[in-house]
Amino acid sequence: MTLALREWQAAFVADLAGGGGEARLAIHRHHIQRSLAKALAMTFPTVHALVGADFFRQIAGIFVTRELPTQPVLAEYGAQFADFLAAEEAMHGLPYLADVARLDWALNVAFYSPRPSAADLTGLSPEVLLSKVLTLAPGAELIRSRYPLDRIWTASQPGAAEGEVDLAKGPTCLLVLPAGFVRLDEGEAAFVASIAEGHTLEAAAVAGFTAESNFGLAGCFGRLLGCEAFAALQQ
Amino acid sequence: MNAPAGIGLRAPHLAEIDRDRPALGLLEIHAENYLLPSPSFAAMERVRADYRFSVHAVGLSLGAVDGLDAAHLARVAALVKRLQPDLVSDHLSWSTHGGRYFNDLLPLPYTEEALDVVVRNVDRLQEALGRQISIENPSCYLAIAHSTMSEPEFLSQLAKRSGCGLLLDANNIHVTAHNLSIDPARWLDGLPAAAITEYHLAGHAVNEVEGGTILIDDHGSRVGDPVWGLFSQCVERFGPRPTVIEWDTDIPALPVLLDEARRASVLLAAGGRHDARAA
Repeated sequence: MTLALREWQAAFVADLAGGGGEARLAIHRHHIQRSLAKALAMTFPTVHALVGADFFRQIAGIFVTRELPTQPVLAEYGAQFADFLAAEEAMHGLPYLADVARLDWALNVAFYSPRPSAADLTGLSPEVLLSKVLTLAPGAELIRSRYPLDRIWTASQPGAAEGEVDLAKGPTCLLVLPAGFVRLDEGEAAFVASIAEGHTLEAAAVAGFTAESNFGLAGCFGRLLGCEAFAALQQ
Repeated sequence: MNAPAGIGLRAPHLAEIDRDRPALGLLEIHAENYLLPSPSFAAMERVRADYRFSVHAVGLSLGAVDGLDAAHLARVAALVKRLQPDLVSDHLSWSTHGGRYFNDLLPLPYTEEALDVVVRNVDRLQEALGRQISIENPSCYLAIAHSTMSEPEFLSQLAKRSGCGLLLDANNIHVTAHNLSIDPARWLDGLPAAAITEYHLAGHAVNEVEGGTILIDDHGSRVGDPVWGLFSQCVERFGPRPTVIEWDTDIPALPVLLDEARRASVLLAAGGRHDARAA
C-alpha cells in the first residue's frame, strides 16, 4: 500500500525520532545528531572547552533530541541550550555552566549582528550630550551571573594558562558586544541598563550613581565609547 | 571559455582566500552560512567580487510536502539578489517537517505525487529568485519500495516540467549506485545533457555494516578514483560544466583543495578523456 507523501514523511520522521524503521535509517539519525551537536559546539565553544568533546557530544545529543532547530540557519540554533543546561544541572554538576552558555550565546548573537558605524558624538557640549538618548550596538546584551564568568571564559580559551578559577570572585556583570565583552561594576551596569531602557545619558548617570557611589561617569562613558558600545543617537 | 573548476568556500579557508586570492575558476558558498551579517559575511563578499560564484542552499527542503518556508525563502532570495551569483542550487531532498529542521538531506520516494510536490516547490523558488536554479542528486542509503520511477527519470522529469537545471554530484551517483546496487553508468543514461549546469565532486567514507559495505557521503577525503572515473564519463557524455570540489569533514589545508580543483580542471579541459586522468 502506497502512503501519500504527507503520511510517508510523517512516518519517516517518527522512525527517526523513535529509533524504528530499517537499519540504514540510522545513517540519517546519526548524521542529524552529530551535525547538530557539532553546530552547538561551534556556538558554545566555552561550554565545549569546559566539559570536553566527548561529554559535550553526549549532552548536546540529548538536547538535540528534545529541541530540533525550527529553521536551517545553524548559527541561530541553540537559544534554549542554556536553559536546558540549567534544568539538567544533575547531568553535568557544574552550577555555572548554564551562565557560561548564556555568555556563549550572547557572543554568538553579537557576532552575527550588523555593525553600523559607531555613534559620532564629537562636537556635542556636555549639556547637550547628557540630554541625548543613545542606542546600544546591535546584539549588545548585559549578562549577570553569580560566578566570575569573565575569568571562567578566559581560563577556557585555547592556550590559557593552567590554574583554578576562584568561583568566589563573582558575581559579574558583562556587557557583550560584537567585538567581545567587557566586565562592568555595579554602577556601570546600572548606567548601561538605563541606556538600554531608553533613558537619557543624564538619567543613566543618575542610575549609575544610585547603584554605586564611586561611579565615574567620564571614565565609564569613555570606556564604552572605546569598545563601540553605542550604535547611534536616537534624536 | 572553459568550464571553471573551483571549491566550496569553507570557514577555515576564508581568511586565506581573502588575503591571497588563489587561482580558482569558481567559489561556492552554502547559502545558510551567510544569511546573517558578520565579519565573515564581509570577507565573503570581498572575495565574491573576484571570482565566479555559486550559491548552494542546503535547507530549502524542496521535497517537503508542506511547501517552502516563506521566511527562509525570503532570506535566500535576498542573499541571491545581493550576490548575483552565476549559479544557484539546492538538493532533491527534504529536511523540514512539522516546523522542525532535520539538518540532513532526507530521501524522497520517487512517485508522481512527490514529483508534483518538488515541481511546485522549484517553481516557487525560481519565481522568488527570478532565475533558474539547479537541483542536485542526493546520496541515497535507503531503497524506497514504493518509488515508481528511477532517480534519473525523476530528475529528468523535474527539469522538463520546471525548467530547472541539474547539478550532477558524481560522488553522490557513486555512493547511491553502490548502496542501492545500481550500475552507475546506467544511472547516467537518459539524462538531458542540456539541463546539466554543474558538477560536484567530493570524497566518501566506506563503512562496514550488516556484512557488507555502505558508502557514506561525508565529504571528508580526496575524491576517490571511481568518482574521478564517473566524472570523466559525465564530462564526455554531457560536456564540461562548472565543477566544485566539496570538503566538509576534517577539512585539510587549502592547497589540498586547490590541487583537487586543478585535477578537475584538467579533466574538464580534456573533455573528460581518460588519458587526462593521470595528469
